[in-house]
Amino acid sequence: MMNAPADIAISVKDLTVGYGDNVILQYVNFQVRRGEVFVILGASGSGKSTLLKAMIGLDPPLSGEVWIDGGNLWAAQGKDRLALLRKFGVMYQSGALFGSLTVLENVRLPLDEFSDLPDPLKEVAALARLKLVGLGAAADKMPAELSGGMQKRAAIARAMVLDPRILFLDEPSAGLDPITSADIDLLITGLHHFGFTFVIVSHELPSIYSIADRVVMLGSGTKGIIAEGKPAELRDTAADPWVRRFFNRQPDPSHSLEPS
Amino acid sequence: MTTATQNELETAMEVRPDSRARLVLRGRLNEQTVVGCWSLLEKELLGTKVEALQVDVSGLGFCDAAGLTLLLYLNMGKMTPQATVSVFGLKADLENIFRELILEDRAFQPQPAIKSDFFVGRIGRKVAQVTMEFHEQMVFLGALIASLPVSIFHPKRSRWAETRRVVELAGANAVPIVSLMSLLLGFIIAFESARRLAEFGAQLYVANTIMVVMVRDMGPLMTAILLAGRSGSSFAAEIGTMKVNEELNALKTFGLDPIPFLVVPRILAGVFVTPLLTFYSILMGVIGGVIVMLGLGFTLPLILHQLASSVHLNDLGTGIAKSAVFGVIVSAVGCWHGLRTQQGPSAVGLSTTRAVVTSLLLIIVADAFFSAISYLLK
Repeated sequence: MMNAPADIAISVKDLTVGYGDNVILQYVNFQVRRGEVFVILGASGSGKSTLLKAMIGLDPPLSGEVWIDGGNLWAAQGKDRLALLRKFGVMYQSGALFGSLTVLENVRLPLDEFSDLPDPLKEVAALARLKLVGLGAAADKMPAELSGGMQKRAAIARAMVLDPRILFLDEPSAGLDPITSADIDLLITGLHHFGFTFVIVSHELPSIYSIADRVVMLGSGTKGIIAEGKPAELRDTAADPWVRRFFNRQPDPSHSLEPS
Repeated sequence: MTTATQNELETAMEVRPDSRARLVLRGRLNEQTVVGCWSLLEKELLGTKVEALQVDVSGLGFCDAAGLTLLLYLNMGKMTPQATVSVFGLKADLENIFRELILEDRAFQPQPAIKSDFFVGRIGRKVAQVTMEFHEQMVFLGALIASLPVSIFHPKRSRWAETRRVVELAGANAVPIVSLMSLLLGFIIAFESARRLAEFGAQLYVANTIMVVMVRDMGPLMTAILLAGRSGSSFAAEIGTMKVNEELNALKTFGLDPIPFLVVPRILAGVFVTPLLTFYSILMGVIGGVIVMLGLGFTLPLILHQLASSVHLNDLGTGIAKSAVFGVIVSAVGCWHGLRTQQGPSAVGLSTTRAVVTSLLLIIVADAFFSAISYLLK
């Protein structure tokens, strides 16, 4: 363990990710401050998901380090690694709820596996998380009975049931209608007030403007970060024209179908 | 008054003679200290008549989610039924979260008892389920019968590329395993029959045994069983996954009916491939038997003469016709279960298992039917 500055929740150092010889991102560096909503964005194929997988301990990086709350995720072994994994929760893009369990059982499952709390308290803890995401009434439903937005809410409840301080959300608004998407944004903002640190992979611009404190943008083909800062600032003042086009939703002029 | 100190939490519990109780928590209420605190509270409060419980947490320096859960639980009155509970002294930020999370007594309301299922009701439901399933099968069969002539008589509207792909997957790729299985089957039949026939000095009739068994039964049956495990399951998994991923819905929104689009090519491939594989399987089984007979000292011309005299052409015809029917069964059942796949991660696995089990059952039933018919016609 290393003593990290108190306000840094995650530190990514010289991270290179990819598969075999195929390097997707090279020497990426950034820090996520405690309590902020940090968004990783970029074009399709820019390596957002690969980066996320390295940050949450799923796919090992080719080189570099990921420090979470002062612990080196990829160097930690055994109990140390487990303790680091307990510091964050993850919501996957599809929700990834277990289809054979009710929503409440889904949320309770990590407690059953990892907590010594008495059983009645586990039930209350799981219900409290569901209530927090507005799904108190859906506790006994099966995941297949929930809408896409509700599944994502339930997945957020499950991600935070072990009381992590950091939440990784993979495309929380993907595939949702604007109202449901705004509901999820509201939920994130609400949870943010409870002190959670969020790392969100997204490219939904309305969501990013409404929730993000800071963003990093991965370039397409550049294998690295091409911009970092507040979304509104990047939209207006980014040096890279591609970044400005991205934030202003402007097409690449070279892709125009109009006869020249 | 009971006082306990564990790690960083001090718990003071007092139950007064007038049934009013006061619990004071000081220090750190976290996941570790909650467990000890829970045991103490259970000991003190359960079975004790309490009319009012005051929980004073003004001395708490730290309270995590587990601690908050304990306070919520106490607030619900589960440990002190019929008592009024008040939790006070929480720090402002925690107080906000606490008020937000106060739960209704949902978790602890007795669940409505499930009415005992009277057996007539169960029989009724089962009959309804079987009838419904039969209805669905008939709808599927009807759609299939309606689609097949279109594919056969309007070749341009058929998806021959898909049929060819399935022929390759289910047929050509199955040749090595069919070879091995049939050759070994020939060995087994020859060895087993040779031992028994030797007792009567009739080992030459091993050739007849192999030929009759392979041509009339084992060839078609074993090939069909292999196809059910290999291709029927893959049809169910493939179509089932498409359904789970909503690809079938996408087809429907394009105006494409999954039956002619997905099922018919597989049925045609099954009907084409199974007889070919069966013929090949018979050939390999006989070769296996011939190898054993050569080892027993018989000459090749003698073995071949004996083989040729043991079956008629119509025996081979029956075997091949059977195999075509088995091919339809394997393909149709695989596709049927694929189309019926429900949602969820276990759904595709369930469909695959059902496809294989149903196919095997129907193949055996059909084989028994064929045997009975051919016996009666003789």
